[in-house]
Amino acid sequence: MTDQPPAPGAPARRIIHVDMDAFYASVEQRDDPALRGRPVAVGGSRERGVVAAASYEARTFGVRSAMPSVTARRLCPDLVFVRPRFEVYRDVSRQIRAIFARYTALIEPLSLDEAYLDVTEDIAGMGSATATALAIRAAIKEETGLTASAGISYNKFIAKIASDQNKPDGQCVITPARGPDFVAALPVKRFHGVGPKTAEKMTRLGIASGADLRARSRDWLLANFGSWGSYLHDAARGLDDRPVRPDRIRKSVGAENTFFTDLRGPTELLEALDGIVETVWPRIEASRSRGRTVTLKVKYDDFRQITRARSFAEPIASRAQFAEAGKMLMLALCPVERPVRLLGLTLSALDQPGDPVAAQLGLGL
Amino acid sequence: MKATIERATLLKGLSHVQSVVERRNTIPILSNVLIEAAAGGGLKLMATDLDLQIVETVDAAVDTPGATTVSAHTLFDIVRKLPEGAQVQLTAAEGKMLVTGGRARFNLSTLPRDDFPVIAEGDLPTKFDLPAATLRQIVDKTRFAISTEETRYYLNGIYLHASEEGSDGPVLKAAATDGHRLARMTVAQPQGAAGMPGVIIPRKCVAELRKLLDEVDGSVEVSLSSTKIRFGLGQAILTSKLIDGTFPDYSRVIPTGNDKLLKIDPKSFMEGVDRVATIASEKTRAVKMTLDRDKIILSVTSPENGTAAEEVPGDYTSLGFDIGFNARYLMDILGQIEGDSVEVHLADAAAPTLIREGEKAPALYVLMPMRV
Repeated sequence: MTDQPPAPGAPARRIIHVDMDAFYASVEQRDDPALRGRPVAVGGSRERGVVAAASYEARTFGVRSAMPSVTARRLCPDLVFVRPRFEVYRDVSRQIRAIFARYTALIEPLSLDEAYLDVTEDIAGMGSATATALAIRAAIKEETGLTASAGISYNKFIAKIASDQNKPDGQCVITPARGPDFVAALPVKRFHGVGPKTAEKMTRLGIASGADLRARSRDWLLANFGSWGSYLHDAARGLDDRPVRPDRIRKSVGAENTFFTDLRGPTELLEALDGIVETVWPRIEASRSRGRTVTLKVKYDDFRQITRARSFAEPIASRAQFAEAGKMLMLALCPVERPVRLLGLTLSALDQPGDPVAAQLGLGL
Repeated sequence: MKATIERATLLKGLSHVQSVVERRNTIPILSNVLIEAAAGGGLKLMATDLDLQIVETVDAAVDTPGATTVSAHTLFDIVRKLPEGAQVQLTAAEGKMLVTGGRARFNLSTLPRDDFPVIAEGDLPTKFDLPAATLRQIVDKTRFAISTEETRYYLNGIYLHASEEGSDGPVLKAAATDGHRLARMTVAQPQGAAGMPGVIIPRKCVAELRKLLDEVDGSVEVSLSSTKIRFGLGQAILTSKLIDGTFPDYSRVIPTGNDKLLKIDPKSFMEGVDRVATIASEKTRAVKMTLDRDKIILSVTSPENGTAAEEVPGDYTSLGFDIGFNARYLMDILGQIEGDSVEVHLADAAAPTLIREGEKAPALYVLMPMRV
């Protein structure tokens, strides 16, 4: 299972990162002409709702995904909230993947609306990765009525950043020759894994751009950022040898829920947890996942978040067992120290489909 | 309180008592043993984890009756290290207990005896006696199958129930299962057990009971209600809460129509399984059994380690086929077979397999295969 680094002297890879433009919102505008040209947010409009996706019209007001709906409405009073229709998004996603498959077998979906493609081997005979990206985007527009943007480069890291460069409905090529300069000019927050907290730390350490990162030694980065420092060291030089993994496997199945009002009592917490089991278990069954670890996530009203997990010797085999495990984890935290704003329940340590199937059968008791 | 007691006597009593005490306790007094010196002589040692309680009476010369509680593990360790043959003197006064033996003196902190929790037994309407040897067998032949999965708490013990339907009259049945295998022991119903509620005896109680049974001859007094059970074992009384749950109707998973019979020597079978399982993956412990006319081949194929095979002699005349088992499960069962022949009743590679010494054998085992 080790990833072979590319052999020295191997030809540069050609990687495309395809990213649908404002995916959920665009699907909604496509299907409801009344929404076209208007600021649309997909997500719950209720007090505790969060924007899952915002149309470009909404983005001009500063509305962003993952923003609390309340904030979004304040920024854009005319914002139209639409309930998400995941079934439809999933169907469109399948359509898009079918299009990718015409050009390469090496497809690594990251979510419903983005994927990495390795088109080094030009099986469709397009001549170049740029032409392939153009063809894919044209096919997506033709067959789904939606637009996509693409980043084309020699590794995943740069391809992903490049796809953002000419959004929406555009694409951007970063050749190996331009790669290092392109990365040097990037603000650190564009690097994978750099969130607000890390960005703050980097600012404190005098690192603002890719060039600043490149000026630091691997040891220095390791000392300041742990094992992740090694990734930063390479990324700052435009290096990233992660392969496109078509067989990317699911690691966990779960769901979470932010409550309308904070919960405190064990009874209401357990009821809420039941609701989440209700959502998660069908997903577990649908994905035929067999997992051994159940993780409970709790976010308190002060936004502090904790997780508690429990692993079992055998995969969780029934909804009742899954619910019971969640209940045990929940009760262990009761009485809760603060009101609870969000609960989540996840099944992980999934059996891999490739694992030898020496499975112990049950008596059915 | 002041009492004098022989080191060996105290050590034995404490060894029983201290194993009931959990190593880690959030309630301090649960780490302690209650020592009560009776006016007429004798010490009562008592420990509890709130679900299980043991009271042991030991001989001692009592000067001043009284009671106190001290850390059970500490006292046990002290007494263990005192010189052999020493007379141990326990003197409790003003929040301390003085322990002297040989030339050593320990002054231990105590907690008030009135704070010591006692399990209220309530009414225990069912009462019967079982020979210690019978009870030992019941435990030995079933306990290995007890589930450790806490989410299925109702399987975390031995299910004891009476049945009037035995072919030779009423019986008492004990069953344990973890959902993969089932062990059941059947004994003649003792006087007084008729009409008893089916009860699930928790794993920890079973473990403590088994230790105490080693030191008892004669019979054990069993008293129970639907929520508590008490075992009178000579000088020790073990009282436990029962698992509050419903044991599944296990009789429906005992196969009755398995038509392929293998008769085999349990010892060589077990040794063969043990040998080939050496290279089985730690996670699955899967062993494949290839049955052919009077020829049984045990084999293991491990992607990491390689392969292993061993032929074991056995009587088998039905259609040949392959079936997989968890080696550990198989060995747990075979380890309980005392005779020199065991019957393995098979149906197919995905159906429950019945293992027993013979039709009249008191113990019966059901094992689900593994897909290999």
